[in-house]
Amino acid sequence: MSLLQELGAQLRATSDELPTGLVTVAMERLRSATELLNWVRQTSVDPIGVPQLGNAVEHAEHAAAALRLAQDAIAAYLAAIGLGGDPSRPDQDWRQGLKRPDDPAPAPNVAPPPPEKLGSWWRKRVEELTGEAPPAAAQSAPEPGKADTAELLRKVAGGVRSGDRARVGRDLHAVSASSGLALSAITSPVLRRLAGDLLGHEPRADDVARLRSAAAGRVKSLLPGAPPAVLETLIARVCRAPAPEGAQTHPADSAVTAGVLTGVLLARLGRDASSLDPAAPEPLRRPETDA
Amino acid sequence: MASVAEVRAAVDAALQQVTESQAAIQAAREKLGEAQQSLAAALDGSANDAVGAAHASLSQADQQLEECLGATLLAIEQAQTYTATL
Repeated sequence: MSLLQELGAQLRATSDELPTGLVTVAMERLRSATELLNWVRQTSVDPIGVPQLGNAVEHAEHAAAALRLAQDAIAAYLAAIGLGGDPSRPDQDWRQGLKRPDDPAPAPNVAPPPPEKLGSWWRKRVEELTGEAPPAAAQSAPEPGKADTAELLRKVAGGVRSGDRARVGRDLHAVSASSGLALSAITSPVLRRLAGDLLGHEPRADDVARLRSAAAGRVKSLLPGAPPAVLETLIARVCRAPAPEGAQTHPADSAVTAGVLTGVLLARLGRDASSLDPAAPEPLRRPETDA
Repeated sequence: MASVAEVRAAVDAALQQVTESQAAIQAAREKLGEAQQSLAAALDGSANDAVGAAHASLSQADQQLEECLGATLLAIEQAQTYTATL
């Protein structure tokens, strides 16, 4: 390897390892928290931290954009020194949210939520979204809050793949509200990657209609109670297009719909739920298509 | 019908998400710092415009993450003040 090749490899590695995935996961958790607090404060004049969270989301969005600009600048430099031909490693952000943390997140000021207090709230909304009533066992014995959201996503994706709405409903009913709500955060980079694999290129604003036509029918059949605006917003975010302005939705809607949409895109790609394992081999992106 | 316990649990669940986002932001800032050092070492002496742009973008990303973290701290404080009144 020549000195120049070595420099190029080092710069590519630096670019690939920029924390775009971590920032995306943080941003989605903040969005999810904002939705939840917005739901709590609907009739209260107290802001309960919502405006500050809005600012935090905005800063996270700017940080993500700056990281992408840094990657573009590194790519431009590589091209300028004659090393532009070698492709970078495929986007690895999708693995970030699916990794099981080594240690619990530090929580110096905030106690973990008591999930059983929100269990009935979560299951009621899951029932409204899926049309599937909670099993009797789930009503009396909510799962502890440390359930693995990545495992839930794989289960939901498996149910979607087999077109089994009852199974999707059962899997969603079986977890605590905090595990279910966390689907929003972990699915965001996964959805972008799957959409890119389906389209054959990084999703762009003009791909919204193609993704909608690829997924909307199946999402609707599995989540007959989900407001259409929720799917539209998710697809717009995947494509980095402006999200439609709309009525406020239930905090669970975005999480549940994102989980089902992940399963639908996986099914469209002919992949099974095990491909959502962060240790799974790198999936191949198919050539440009009219998905 | 919602109870105070349910409202408090919902706020706590939201704050848990915020706390987890803080952990992700802190981890992102650490990785960003490593990337800045690696880039500075590799591109020391370069006058290429793209190199300057890369450095500037990474600094801006770090600044935005710092401000993001600050905003989450304020949000937590305000939400906790609210739940204390319930």
